[in-house]
Amino acid sequence: MNGSLLDSVNIGNWMLIAPELWVLTMTCVILFVDLYIKEERRGIIHLLGMITLIFAAIITLRGGYLEEGATQAFAFNDTFVRDRMGDVLKAFSYLVLAGVYTYAKFYMRQFSLFRSDFYTLSLEALLGIMLLISANNLVMVYLGLELLALASYALVAFDRGSQRASEAAMKYFVLGSMASGILLYGMSMIYGATGSLDLAEISTAAAAAGSGDIILLFGMVFLVVGIAFKLGVVPFHMWIPDVYHGAPAAVTLFIAAVPKMAAFAMAYRLLQSGLGGLHVDWMQMLAVLAVLSIMAGNLAAIAQTNIKRMLAYSTISHMGFVLLGMLPGTATGFGAAMYYVIVYSLMSAAAFGMVILLSHHGVEAEKLDDFKGLNRRNPWYAAIMAMVMFSMAGVPIFVGFFAKWLVIKAALDAGLMWLALLAVIFSVVGAFYYLRVVKLMYFDEPLAESSIEAPVDFRAAISINGILMIGLGIFSSALISVCMSSFT
Amino acid sequence: MLTLAHFLTLGAILFCLGVAGIFVNRKNVIILLMCIELILLAVNMNFVAFSRFLGNLDGQVFVFFILTVAAAEAAIGLAILVVLFRNRKTINVAELDDLKG
Amino acid sequence: MPIIEITFYLFAAVLVGAAVMVISVRNPVYAALFLVLTFFSAAALWLLLEVEFLAIVLVLVYVGAVMVLFLFVVMMLDINLAPLKEGFIRYLPAAITVAVVMAVELMMVLWVRGKFGSEAFESPVPHPPDYNNTKEVGEWLYTQYMLPFEVAGIILLVAIIAAVALTLRRRPEAKRQDPARQVQVKRDDRIRMVKMKSETKVEE
Repeated sequence: MNGSLLDSVNIGNWMLIAPELWVLTMTCVILFVDLYIKEERRGIIHLLGMITLIFAAIITLRGGYLEEGATQAFAFNDTFVRDRMGDVLKAFSYLVLAGVYTYAKFYMRQFSLFRSDFYTLSLEALLGIMLLISANNLVMVYLGLELLALASYALVAFDRGSQRASEAAMKYFVLGSMASGILLYGMSMIYGATGSLDLAEISTAAAAAGSGDIILLFGMVFLVVGIAFKLGVVPFHMWIPDVYHGAPAAVTLFIAAVPKMAAFAMAYRLLQSGLGGLHVDWMQMLAVLAVLSIMAGNLAAIAQTNIKRMLAYSTISHMGFVLLGMLPGTATGFGAAMYYVIVYSLMSAAAFGMVILLSHHGVEAEKLDDFKGLNRRNPWYAAIMAMVMFSMAGVPIFVGFFAKWLVIKAALDAGLMWLALLAVIFSVVGAFYYLRVVKLMYFDEPLAESSIEAPVDFRAAISINGILMIGLGIFSSALISVCMSSFT
Repeated sequence: MLTLAHFLTLGAILFCLGVAGIFVNRKNVIILLMCIELILLAVNMNFVAFSRFLGNLDGQVFVFFILTVAAAEAAIGLAILVVLFRNRKTINVAELDDLKG
Repeated sequence: MPIIEITFYLFAAVLVGAAVMVISVRNPVYAALFLVLTFFSAAALWLLLEVEFLAIVLVLVYVGAVMVLFLFVVMMLDINLAPLKEGFIRYLPAAITVAVVMAVELMMVLWVRGKFGSEAFESPVPHPPDYNNTKEVGEWLYTQYMLPFEVAGIILLVAIIAAVALTLRRRPEAKRQDPARQVQVKRDDRIRMVKMKSETKVEE
């Protein structure tokens, strides 16, 4: 792994990171274009953002970088790795971000927040997500994570005049930085115990040392705490409700939907690729975190009257399910967790898209009551929201059901009977608050009779997003097999 | 003779002081930010010590990156603090109670 | 006790003492200055370990840039100090408990069960006189860690964009100078000749 300067500038390296280079270049282009255009022509920035995502998807999915028989390709002296899992997660990140842009444009126009900063910062965050997904070295994990985190902190405070947003940003910043510090402390212990920062070398050393090495275990505990903070699982979830609630809905949409895929990839790379040899030990920690999140998330969500907070607690319980899938440490388990996290991203994008859709005259529709009688006002939007809620609750034939089912099945296969049972019980409990939203929409009197207006691209995006909830459910096997085959 | 444990102990003490500082200074955001710097210094101490005693430069390079990121983090943290202060005229965390539920 | 150990304990004591002051003083300006002392002591300890490059960078980056930024913000915001320490005594017992428990656990791991006593890890061999730490770190940085190095640059870019996006505000009421327009000013823009009837002498 000792590389010379010539190795580093080898053209093959740059081909592998072409998607990252493209996103970086376009971020800078947007930064410059914004200097020279008038305020009323900001639509160009939106267009450039979408072009960035489309071409990034094309470059990423072009493939052809793998050598015969290999499943991974490495670049820059093994600090960067391209594999199928990474490509799939990146592709879905682009897709979800494209949805986020479409929804956010409508929101930002309404709230006079339509500035190019949103696009540059979210593209930088996307770059962090991509680097985190492809990290194969503790340094890269840390830098990718920080790139994502720093851009996210700034995005939360994006609405400068809002007291709530700046308060949320401050809380997010302090807790997030503390989590990074804890994660780093764990990394330093792992470095000390294994003598390397490279995940493959750590894996070899960890497998040789096993659970007997107390320093390695110690590092692992700190690492799991750091990951738990970033995923937002109980008891490290304090920031999630406040940030979701305080941030402008467009930013909440971004933070809820996109970075979770990177957090999953980070957990996989650190725990499985790096510390796979300590599986028995981290499994116990993850089991506790998963149970607590599924329980506390679902119970706390019932008490909420604010839909942003309700969705925040529902996120916590969903992340518990993702951990449940990672517990067994098997290929099917990780495949199920990956499927879950992708489905979750699509669901939360649609849910927050609906929150944005109902916002009007500079007031966010963040009360559950704002959804009252939606069916009367617009049956199609009510149907979309109902599909999203059914999917989140895990009603059969909707895509969320298959995600839950696969994760629980993976836990059952690993002999985690009681965990699977708890997960089933609490998803039934959780169904209550999702169905309450459906009840409000169909059986209550609307608070406002005004018609709901949105631009055509918004309507198209939210319709496709809603139809995906049932479409991906009926034709679920394709995406499932993509996810499963990423881990063989 | 100085052993690795000397430096790691120092790192551990600094880390605990940083975490304790976050507990006691719930009201003053600026000192909270400084506590985070203390935690990062503890991590750096560990990395530097490991790097020297393992005879391997990776740790020192990692510290270099942590310093870079910490500088960027401080800049963004202070920017958020300035925005917060403009909006609320206070940096007292206990008065930050808009977000409850 | 050899001189190197005395030096270590001296700087370690200053380091811990300053860190305690950082988290316990009332005034953020004092806290920032104690943090500077903490960083200086840490840099001295790193010099003891012959990690010269990072020791210098720590002083330059932290003391020179980050702490100045802290002080700048503390001075800029007109903070009312009185209420900021109210909770201090209330949370103090909990914090001391947490810190002591964590410290004891960490020590136990490090000293009792760990392998970091003198027997497992030999003290590093002192570098020869012509050793160049900066060169070594630099070479490693630009070869093995080239990609992370580039990413660190992007992180700094994000910090710039974020800081500007968050704090730059155009205040319409603010009066500011425009040098270009000042230079272009002609005599006629500023001076107006007014024809007035000459005053007649008033009779007394």
